Amino acid sequence: MIELDFALRRGEFATRVNVTLNDRVTGVFGPSGAGKTTLLGTLAGLVKPDAGRLVLNGECLLDTERGIDLPLYKRRIGMVFQDSRLFPHLTVSRNLEYGYHRLTRGQRRFSLAQIVELLELGALLLQKPHQLSGGQRQRVALGRALLSSPRLLLLDEPMASLDVRLKMQILPFMQRVRDEIDIPMLYVSHAIDEVLQLTSRMLVLEQGHVIGYGDFVDVMRDTQVLALARSLGMENVLQVELLSHHPAEGYSVAQLSTQRLFIPLSAGGVGERITISTAASNIALAREPVSGISIQNQLPGTLGQMRQVDHRMLVDVVLDANTLVAEVSAKAIQDLALSPGMKVHALIKTQALHLYGQVL
Amino acid sequence: MSILQLTPEEMAALWLSAKVALFCTLLILIPGVLLGWVLARKRFFGKALLDSVVHLPLVLPPVVPGFLLLLLFGNQGVLGKWLQEAFGISIAFTWMGAVVASAIMALPLMVRSARLAVSQVDRGLELAAQSLGAHPVRVFFSITLPLALPGILTGMVLAFSRSLGEFGATITFVGNIEGETRTLPLAIYTYTQIPGGDVPALRLVVLSLLLAFAALYFSNVMEQRALRRVGSGDDRA
Repeated sequence: MIELDFALRRGEFATRVNVTLNDRVTGVFGPSGAGKTTLLGTLAGLVKPDAGRLVLNGECLLDTERGIDLPLYKRRIGMVFQDSRLFPHLTVSRNLEYGYHRLTRGQRRFSLAQIVELLELGALLLQKPHQLSGGQRQRVALGRALLSSPRLLLLDEPMASLDVRLKMQILPFMQRVRDEIDIPMLYVSHAIDEVLQLTSRMLVLEQGHVIGYGDFVDVMRDTQVLALARSLGMENVLQVELLSHHPAEGYSVAQLSTQRLFIPLSAGGVGERITISTAASNIALAREPVSGISIQNQLPGTLGQMRQVDHRMLVDVVLDANTLVAEVSAKAIQDLALSPGMKVHALIKTQALHLYGQVL
Repeated sequence: MSILQLTPEEMAALWLSAKVALFCTLLILIPGVLLGWVLARKRFFGKALLDSVVHLPLVLPPVVPGFLLLLLFGNQGVLGKWLQEAFGISIAFTWMGAVVASAIMALPLMVRSARLAVSQVDRGLELAAQSLGAHPVRVFFSITLPLALPGILTGMVLAFSRSLGEFGATITFVGNIEGETRTLPLAIYTYTQIPGGDVPALRLVVLSLLLAFAALYFSNVMEQRALRRVGSGDDRA
């Protein structure tokens, strides 16, 4: 359990965070400048907040009122940075041993051999960092952090500097660490796809404030998060179950509670639950079912709440177990005489649905 | 006697110069690196003043620090008296005094190189090392120092060469005593002041050039080696 409560102001940037994290793996997500790196830095001890309290598993790391501020090197919080930060003058094995050597046998949670095997580093041990590829470097950095037996692992955009191919190569290792290593992790990224491959538990930051914490699908529906979700085209995040694949036609069929949904061809197995999203502006409304149209998905529902967010009208379409958010113009509301409680059909093009956890 | 044969006096000047320059470099190595590190990494009250004081010898006429040293370390000077009474040593008009004089003159070069070298070490690496549980002192010795080594070596060569060429502060502080404080530049100067001294002066000039080249070459080799260690080459040693 991580209790965070701190405030910090640096010129124009101000942040105020008060949240208790309970998950083993938490994604920290938000646009750049939201305070993600400040949050990690504060936890690690790189950044000094103006006031606050940090408690990690019952141990106080920082309490400005009581004058407690554990220095960086005593916090035992491992970090993996975007730029790996391997020590260029040391071989891979000396890099891995850097924190490990210092620990007593009792403090070591893993053996060197264990981590080398887990992250498949055996062939790299004698090389220097400049001889490694970006993905290999991140694997070494991950191993080095784990070997220092941290109480918490902070991953600060560890895949941001890698191309898609390298991301695909390192992702399985991240997932392995998540599944086999019992250390709580905070995974920071501005790429939601990446975070979702590791966890659905999400802390959403914007302009220095926590605007949501919980399961991704729920958090994205939160009114506070809606503006951010809109800017990312993610007002509608849904979980569906894959029913069948049709590779020749390039689509899959998925079940959304009782309704069928045509989605782009998925790589997931039949029966698997996947997350999909679409922007509110991708959803059109019709009062009657429409025939002679290319749009495959026509979901019957009932109009719910109508609200204005950033000069746009967002209306809820209540399906049997889910709610969609559709963006319509004020003129359309007049022309169709839309009002809450009315029966409508939500029209969504297959290709307007984005799949997560499939490709990066 | 061949024109290339050095006289005993010339040999003495050569060895004295080498000895003074070597001791000077060793004397300022640790304070120079520490000052460079402090100036590169720390913020404190009076930093600008410290910076100026360290660099003062670069912009002063060398005779000024020489004279100040004489006031301080002379037999009547505060430090000179204390050294004499406490340890029975007098450094004025000795080769040790020549070491001190050239150390003062060479220190800013050492500090500048070390400062540049340390400031080019990625602060992120030091923080990463600390996040792995290493105390800042250990981080300094295991990360900062090895990575700054090429620049520090450059500083050492600059200091060595500066010491070889030291003239003004040396002659003011320790005089021009043959076999004791008459280093190469002082010997050259002495020969130019006597009739028929041009040939030995020229010999010593050539010698000075060779020494300077050797120092630069050595520094280049060492620097290349150090750079290879941090990853600009591909040795696996």
